[in-house]
Amino acid sequence: MQDERFTFVTIDSSASEHIAAPHYSYWRSVAKKFFSSKVTIFVLIVCSIIILMSAIHPMISHYRPDYMPHVNDFTMRYIRPCLEYPFGTDNVGNSLFDAVWAGTRNSLTIAFIATTITTVLGVIVGAFWGYSKKMDKIMIEIYNVVANVPFTLLVIILMYVLGRGFWQLVFALSVTSWLGTAYFIRIQVMIIRDREYNLASRCLGTPTPRIILHNILPYLISVIVTSVARDVPSFISYEVFLSYLGIGLGANTASLGNMISSYAVYMKSTPYLFWIPVAISAIISVSLYVIGQSLADAADPRTHM
Amino acid sequence: MKNYILGRLVRSIISIFLVVTIAILMVYTLVPRDNVFQNDQMLSKLASKPDEKVRYKYNAWERLGYLEFVDQREMCESASDNVSACMIVNSPESLAVKAEYEAKGWTVESFQQSGLLYAHKDKSVFSLVTTWFGRLIKVDNPWAITDSGNPNLERKIYLGSDHNGVPALKCSGCENKYLIYFDGSFPFIHQNIISLNFGISYPTFNGREVGAVITEGQGNPKQSQVKFETGQTISSPVNLHKCKYKSAATMDSMDQKKFVDNYANCANNLSDPSMVVMSFIFGVLGLIISYGIGLPAGILMASQKDKLADKIGIVYINFMIAVPSLAFIYFAKFLGNSAGLPEKFPTFGAHDIRSYILPTIILGLMSTASLMIWIRRYMIDQSSADYVKFARAKGLSQREIFVKHILRNAIIPIVNGIPSSIILTISGAVITETVFAIPGMGKMLPDAITGFNNPMIIALTFIFTTLSILSLLLGDILVTFVDPRIQLEAKGGSR
Repeated sequence: MQDERFTFVTIDSSASEHIAAPHYSYWRSVAKKFFSSKVTIFVLIVCSIIILMSAIHPMISHYRPDYMPHVNDFTMRYIRPCLEYPFGTDNVGNSLFDAVWAGTRNSLTIAFIATTITTVLGVIVGAFWGYSKKMDKIMIEIYNVVANVPFTLLVIILMYVLGRGFWQLVFALSVTSWLGTAYFIRIQVMIIRDREYNLASRCLGTPTPRIILHNILPYLISVIVTSVARDVPSFISYEVFLSYLGIGLGANTASLGNMISSYAVYMKSTPYLFWIPVAISAIISVSLYVIGQSLADAADPRTHM
Repeated sequence: MKNYILGRLVRSIISIFLVVTIAILMVYTLVPRDNVFQNDQMLSKLASKPDEKVRYKYNAWERLGYLEFVDQREMCESASDNVSACMIVNSPESLAVKAEYEAKGWTVESFQQSGLLYAHKDKSVFSLVTTWFGRLIKVDNPWAITDSGNPNLERKIYLGSDHNGVPALKCSGCENKYLIYFDGSFPFIHQNIISLNFGISYPTFNGREVGAVITEGQGNPKQSQVKFETGQTISSPVNLHKCKYKSAATMDSMDQKKFVDNYANCANNLSDPSMVVMSFIFGVLGLIISYGIGLPAGILMASQKDKLADKIGIVYINFMIAVPSLAFIYFAKFLGNSAGLPEKFPTFGAHDIRSYILPTIILGLMSTASLMIWIRRYMIDQSSADYVKFARAKGLSQREIFVKHILRNAIIPIVNGIPSSIILTISGAVITETVFAIPGMGKMLPDAITGFNNPMIIALTFIFTTLSILSLLLGDILVTFVDPRIQLEAKGGSR
């Protein structure tokens, strides 16, 4: 073994790039996976159009169910869908097109707010709940009491007690549903909690909040997205359902549920009045659900390879 | 196992108690009490008589349990020696009574027209809850009846026979004549000993007991030839098994012709089933449809994983989950109507099979999606298990592995859900029943809410919560029978 048989090499930074793991960006991979499906892109476009319309159109139309400028003008009633009134007019001469977007906006806002509360609260509580055994003892008892009560019953009773209205509905929908999300997250956390890398991290003295935030939560992104994808359509469904029963939003607030409920009597005579809101609510729910599912799939790192 | 079930039962009872207590507190303190009169026609009729109106309102509130109410006569009779002097407006005696009641914490006011006094006192939240639970369980006993018109009433429980000659446990002195009896309707043996008392319904179903509204038949009285105890046989709708005590003062000659004793207050046989039974019929038919379609479809999807059948199934599942149930119901109803099925249940009534087809199919289809998801998931999870690989190595056919190994293990979690789905049919399907105007339990809750029927709301909360808790317990117990490996008690050692 002689020294002259060796030659010194200079440090080649480009070569080190080749040796290291291939370049990987989590969010870029998520985006790539998400946009790879044509169905998802189509649904995303439909969904964006609906959300944009419901956000912008009510600002132009200033639609309110209790404002009926054409109530005495009989020629304005029950106009079939035409160019001027794309969705026709209803029993008091209001344009259904205005009503649908105003209603969609309220229904969507409720669903989004309730989902945000449910998810944020559920994930935070669920992460600590799954990690701490002391908290588990208390929380599991609370959960057992609340989870035993049928959700529909609870929401109906709360709406009766609080009265009809926007914030009342948000409250009734989110007051216990976060417990379901928290329980769901708890199980996921318990599965990951005792993996070797977490044991090692704990041995090295990492504080609990840091372990939860940096070691566990990144694993849960796809699970959380799945739960969001399930929650938004179900909250829209609940708004429709409660308003249909006459205990959701007040009659003076435009909403898909109120519309379906009040136009149900016209199903035979002027079917478009009833079917357009029903179709819109179905399209929103389906498209949000599909987007959520694809996003959840894309957010799962196992699908990136 | 025994300890576990006992512990679960205790916790269940605590849960029920907590939930009902919270419901009572919220309904009775947060809902404005004037709301109960919103749909009451009586108040507008009494608009010209302010005194009557006030009296009517306070009587209603007293019946609902909000407060205690007394008028001047009752005040005088309980607190003054000289009732006639006390009944005069502003007499010293009446003022003394007024002061006495005010000292006891009552609010004393006077009627607008007559000037007579009345007093009311709100019940505390605590007494609201204790009253509700205190009267909930009623046990019929031979000392239940006190009738001054009939001092020689015998008090005994005895074995006898009913009007058909079938043996029955009868009672004299109880509220009901028959304590245990047999008849031809499900579940064939009936009891009247323990009953649940949820109070009196108001303002909808005014004056009837809440429990009776839910469990008694509906529709028109059904006439049949009834042979009474006195030997008289006439066409009458009465159900002799459901006879209650009628006080001697109200017995008339008609009653005396038919009955030998004072048990003459009989319920009628009615043509249509009760709300509970109605929801149960629809629910069970729906369940049969949903398991009949969901299980085979889920199994097919699992066996054809990633093939066409599986993909179609997934599209169907996603569609069912995402579409609002209301939209689905109306869509299915629209299709059904085009095929000539009735739009509402009452169109043909309870005795026509056409009334049942569409709602049961809708109910069934709505729960197929979750059933399919889960059975598919469980079967796919099982098919990668070691025992399956071993079975394949032994040379078993794919079909044998599927039916005898995978399915048997995958069905266990499904079994867990069966009791709850059967029991919870009683609570009804809220939307389906509302859309089809089916007179069942599901429609009861929204109706009670829009009618501001507080006793009904509390009773339904109690019933639905109890059913849901008990069915979960039953499901867990059933699983241990199906799969002996499952232990409900936590054994030490796990983290």
